[in-house]
Amino acid sequence: MFQLAKKRVGFKTLGCRLNQFETDAMASKFVAMGYDVVEDSKDTDVFVVNTCTVTNQSDQKSRYAVNHALKNGHNGMLIITGCMANHHKEALEELYPNAYVVDNENKSAIPQLVQAHFNKEIVPANTTQGGVFNYAPASETFHTRSMIKIQDGCDNFCTFCIIPKVRGRATSRPVEDILKNITEVVGFGYKEVVITGVNISRYEHEGVKFSGLLAKILDLPFDFRVRISSIEPDGFDDEFFALLTHPKMTPHLHLCLQSASESVLLQMRRMYTYRSYKQIVQRLREIDPKFNITTDIIVGFPGESEEDFQASLDSVDQIGFSHVHTFKYSKRDNTRAARMTNVIPEKVKSDRSEQLRHKTAEAKRNYRQQFIGSEQTVLVEKIDKRGFAHGYGEYYVPVQFKADEVKKNSFYKVKLTGLTDSREEPVLIGQLID
Amino acid sequence: MSHKVPVANKIKTDLHEILEVRNLTDSTFVMRFERKGLEFEAGQHICVGPPNGIHTREYSIYSAENDDYIEILVKEVENGLVSPSLKKLQKGGFVVVEEPVGYFTINNKLPKNQKYVFIASGTGVSPFHSFVLSKPEIDYTLLHGVKYGSEGYESETYDKKRYVKCTSREGTGNYYGRVTDYLKENKFGKDVQYFLCGNCNMIHDVYDILEEQGVSTDNIHAEVYF
Ligand SMILES: Cc1cc2nc3c(=O)[nH]c(=O)nc-3n(C[C@H](O)[C@H](O)[C@H](O)COP(=O)(O)OP(=O)(O)OC[C@H]3O[C@@H](n4cnc5c(N)ncnc54)[C@H](O)[C@@H]3O)c2cc1C
Ligand code: SF4
Repeated sequence: MFQLAKKRVGFKTLGCRLNQFETDAMASKFVAMGYDVVEDSKDTDVFVVNTCTVTNQSDQKSRYAVNHALKNGHNGMLIITGCMANHHKEALEELYPNAYVVDNENKSAIPQLVQAHFNKEIVPANTTQGGVFNYAPASETFHTRSMIKIQDGCDNFCTFCIIPKVRGRATSRPVEDILKNITEVVGFGYKEVVITGVNISRYEHEGVKFSGLLAKILDLPFDFRVRISSIEPDGFDDEFFALLTHPKMTPHLHLCLQSASESVLLQMRRMYTYRSYKQIVQRLREIDPKFNITTDIIVGFPGESEEDFQASLDSVDQIGFSHVHTFKYSKRDNTRAARMTNVIPEKVKSDRSEQLRHKTAEAKRNYRQQFIGSEQTVLVEKIDKRGFAHGYGEYYVPVQFKADEVKKNSFYKVKLTGLTDSREEPVLIGQLID
Repeated sequence: MSHKVPVANKIKTDLHEILEVRNLTDSTFVMRFERKGLEFEAGQHICVGPPNGIHTREYSIYSAENDDYIEILVKEVENGLVSPSLKKLQKGGFVVVEEPVGYFTINNKLPKNQKYVFIASGTGVSPFHSFVLSKPEIDYTLLHGVKYGSEGYESETYDKKRYVKCTSREGTGNYYGRVTDYLKENKFGKDVQYFLCGNCNMIHDVYDILEEQGVSTDNIHAEVYF
């Protein structure tokens, strides 16, 4: 029988994990609608660029992704969504008249929008029914881990950050909805869920705060492990620390620091001090001396003195970070920091960024080295052509091992025997334990 | 499958009519405008701007949780963008107001007899004005750092025994010197909840002093204005 060719949808995702979650969720809806999902624009009927606007560089990258697709002859439906779409809607619509520019609030309605487009119904991009949490669980995504979005928006208003303006006010997803979502994804075969959102430590729904929610998630009677994505180091209560010892919890937090200088933190209007950050770390390391702590640090914030920068540099050893995502400060219009006058020259920023990257590479190797000789439970994400399985251990350290009878998306006990030479991304080498 | 979808969380703004302006000094004034049902907790702030511009700035709410209007205490900053244009507005005019936000609030779960020390510089006294009016039973001491005695900003609101005006440029307050000097000379203890509001330098120094006095960072809450 004659069969119509399957439609193809391509995605390009920039920025944070939340965006990645949203792309995954959209992709799963497209799969359910019978689409093939790919990761570029080539030969696609629909190409979705899920943009980010956190730095000027992300703006540029987002625009580049759109231009690149058009230059390479993409003539299917083009959708621009994400934070840049919220922030520069009019300008984007002017620049790309054939594109649908869909704001974050309507992102989850993109599959319906696409159907409506192909049904030749005229649907204005920003009026279809959407909503910030309207995603089905990602049954078919690019990853083995399933991102579970628990909240959106942020009310912290850090002085450098545009997110509260473009994402809007903090909203938390109902507890029952989250538990249902996790039950479904575990049912789909996911072994690890990542709790995600813009500012998850501020989760609060009908009196249930973040720790309360986490306790309920960990109580679900299934076999899966839980990872917490990027989190702000404020609002941790005793219950939270107690939950970190739960067997389903992975000993890793991406605990955003941004600067280790107390005065820069105040200028950033962050909700914590470096002192309190260190206290949190101390409690984490009391729970587990190898507890993996990764972070984001901004260098070159207005007024950052050599001394301030040195404090951030020193924090790498003081905290024992295993990874630092280094950002050069870039001015975002309509933020308080944009009006600060003591601007750091670009060259100084680049120099500081380089020093921090160098230090981080060293720290990463030191951190990973200590696992040699130990065992890790590795969730296999990929098996390469040479027959090597790649995945992450419970501490979120990357591991590779030679394996013949190994399946993707399964846990394996692996004995770690060495570390690859890569300066930027050394990977632990292991042997499968029968 | 379908999920319950909360309404999108766009920032809501509205025009509010100005009901009264009280000039407290040459540069500082209280602006009262319509509440229009806005809900807030004492200590939160709102973004306010002139009706004809696109710019707004954050201002702590000065009035009480139960008042049927909203007030803000504003200092006109020389060469500033928004505060000078707010200063020009009169009763009967309008301001753009965004819904209240912020976490500089009192934890209602703390015991009723909890002691508080509020430390403000300049207009940083505004959220404390709202705390005291909203929670009249609260056991507090307010240390207010200003340059001159005339910058007390309606200090008659506070119980005289609980209010310490620290004047740094003249001896017309209750204490001649900086608020930080007062704090070094007068310890309040480790079980007190400290709330600091105003400029960054004051807050930075107070953190250091309190740390030296053995106060845990869990007991310190800060709202940085600039
Ligand atoms: C959470 C929060 C709450 C705030 N609440 C209040 C409040 O209740 N009352 C109030 O007057 N201001 C308050 N501010 C400051 C206010 O938001 C504006 O920054 C201020 O009114 C100046 O705005 P502008 O547009 O006139 O000046 P801009 O053009 O934005 O800035 C000019 C410069 O003035 C300095 N500056 C800012 N505020 C002050 C100030 N109060 N005194 C002296 N110098 C200052 C800054 O260093 C800034 O670089 C608050 C700020 C924040 C973040
Ligand atoms: S916590 Fe700060 S940096 Fe993070 S989203 Fe909110 S405002 Fe931005």
